[in-house]
Amino acid sequence: MQDRLLPYWLLVPAFIIVLATTIYPLAYSFITSFRAWDLTKSRRPEGFVGIDNYIYAASESQFLNSLWVTFIFVITSVALTVVLAMALALLLRRKGSMHTFTRIILILPFAMSPALIGVSYRFMFNPEFGVLANGLGAVFPALQGVPWLADPQLAMGILVLTDVWHWTPYMTFMCLGGLASIPRETEEAARIDGASNLRIVFGIILPQMRGVILVMAVLKTIFALKMFDQVVTLTGGGPGTSTETLAYFIFNVGFRWFDMGYASALAWILTAIMMFISIWYVRMLLSERKMATA
Amino acid sequence: MKLFTSAIAIAASLYGAQAFAWEATEGRPYEGQTVNVLAVKSSQFEAHEARLAEFEEATGIDVVYDYVPFPNMKEALTTEMVAGGDYDVVSVMDQWVQSLQMLMEPIGPGIEAQGTDLSDFPAAHIRHGMLNGELIGLPVRGHVQLMFYRTDLLAEAGVEPPQTWEEMVTAAKAIQDNTDASGVALPYGKLNGQNLMVWMNLLWGNGGDLFDADGNAVFNSAAGVAATETYVSYLAEEIVPAGSAVFVEQDAVTSFKQGNSAMLPVWWWVRSQLSDPEQSTLTADQIGFTALPSVAGADRTTFTNTWIFGVTAESDNKDAATEFLGWLTDPALERDVLMDPDLSEVVAVHMSNLTDAEVNERWGGMHQAAADALATADGVEFGDNWPRIVLILETAISSLASGEATDVQATLDKAAEDIAAIR
Repeated sequence: MQDRLLPYWLLVPAFIIVLATTIYPLAYSFITSFRAWDLTKSRRPEGFVGIDNYIYAASESQFLNSLWVTFIFVITSVALTVVLAMALALLLRRKGSMHTFTRIILILPFAMSPALIGVSYRFMFNPEFGVLANGLGAVFPALQGVPWLADPQLAMGILVLTDVWHWTPYMTFMCLGGLASIPRETEEAARIDGASNLRIVFGIILPQMRGVILVMAVLKTIFALKMFDQVVTLTGGGPGTSTETLAYFIFNVGFRWFDMGYASALAWILTAIMMFISIWYVRMLLSERKMATA
Repeated sequence: MKLFTSAIAIAASLYGAQAFAWEATEGRPYEGQTVNVLAVKSSQFEAHEARLAEFEEATGIDVVYDYVPFPNMKEALTTEMVAGGDYDVVSVMDQWVQSLQMLMEPIGPGIEAQGTDLSDFPAAHIRHGMLNGELIGLPVRGHVQLMFYRTDLLAEAGVEPPQTWEEMVTAAKAIQDNTDASGVALPYGKLNGQNLMVWMNLLWGNGGDLFDADGNAVFNSAAGVAATETYVSYLAEEIVPAGSAVFVEQDAVTSFKQGNSAMLPVWWWVRSQLSDPEQSTLTADQIGFTALPSVAGADRTTFTNTWIFGVTAESDNKDAATEFLGWLTDPALERDVLMDPDLSEVVAVHMSNLTDAEVNERWGGMHQAAADALATADGVEFGDNWPRIVLILETAISSLASGEATDVQATLDKAAEDIAAIR
């Protein structure tokens, strides 16, 4: 009897930690999303307001703007990261000392704090003393003095750039792992049959990397949806509201407006989007496995 | 306004106008207690901490300071308010007082018992220590705006320090024609409403205001549109550094410190950074200052910024904390820091120090200029929704500065609508 229960008892500490750090906050914020809670007036959540917070979100221009900004950011950031990571992985999959050295160097951007990346890029794109702003101006005189972060489109472009720069190395390593699992024989057979490099990549490698690419895209999408640090330190959501992502907007609502009920509702909208993507991803994976075993 | 007037009246009637020198409560009734202080990171507060021995010896109270950098301070105070913490005394910026009101404890009776002279604080500062007619905090750090300028560059361009905003534009163009520097460094980017600080002066100078007596937005009036068009026009006239559309206050200060800009309208506390060799390329004789320019024909104005210190509602040592506040707000302590030759602290919130001859001699008359500005500075009434109002307004200015929006009237109207729609 004791032996049968022992595994469950061993799970109890972990369960308590998960309950306290994940389940309870999630449940609390979900309930809060249906309540009014103005932090300037009450330390505790006030009365239930039904789905008012969600209805308010649907009609509020700042929320809708942040949703659109997030959508633009996610699409561009995910597409660029996946394509670049795949390309870099194809370049680095060969063995050799230079390739090994490059792989080691490549991990450095991912080791940096996102907040620090934002601060660094803010300095580097400063038109007065920024090394990138001045370097680009020196190479392309037309770009001299361009106020990079002062233009809404350029600011979004630089925000995407910082994110791609940060995540591409990690995704490259995922691709390298995937490439290592592809049997070399098929590639060699195609090469003997006279297939070009491009044909081999698109006809043999990429179809076999489909699962890895899907995982990368889903993971990157979820991370991109949470974009916050660089927004704070690089653009502050500006100019105007051009880089105000959903995560940053939720922070403002909660910790600047002090409207915790509304902030909770917005956080759950973001969670719902991520859950939808995760469920879709699991279904895709399962259907792929079924096809593979059929 | 009515609330403010009554608050000042209460303060005046309670505390009189006698000169004050802090004295410890007889008998050291709070001996052995510890007062934990949560303060924003500031060299001024560090100077206070360095002088704690006098207070601790006189009272037997231990004081422990914890510092939080400014960008994280509001979150730290919010956590303290919601979760209840270990701090007995907190520093709170004026704009946050209303929204953090549950954090603070009324301190009127305790401060009265110590004989603190509230009339020595400028009205623009002490008003932020009053909430619903009760004293909840005392000013310790307060700022006015001044126009700093490069004496050498203005001389090279043959222009005098500007006294009006129009003169500032003329001077800036002359400087750019004769030197490599940009005319003036201004912040247009989004961060804690910093892009509103100069704009507000243009608004007031044009005869406008943020809200009317009923609390309705009026910054989208003709005066508001004129002020905004003027502020944004400095970008189009290219008298500000490239990239100013996203400059926050620190970027503007850095531009001046690096010798890239010739004029800088900013808080007076920045003076201590401007000639600090570890932070700046400038020397003290290259830096001059004058009152903030005004709109031609209008009174001088200045935005003010005040940090109050108050006792937390959750404190277990409220009396000891109030005793500490009495010491902390002693004009003699402030004067000691101002006159310390090893420090470069200019901040003062007591009129007795602002008008002190020796203080002014040391700082080249800066404090008298601040006292003059404070004499007519009314300050802004920061309500519950101020943090949200700031976000809406700073976003409007940022949008116009970046070109994301171009129609000033429509942008201000939208901001007014958004403010009216705040739940």
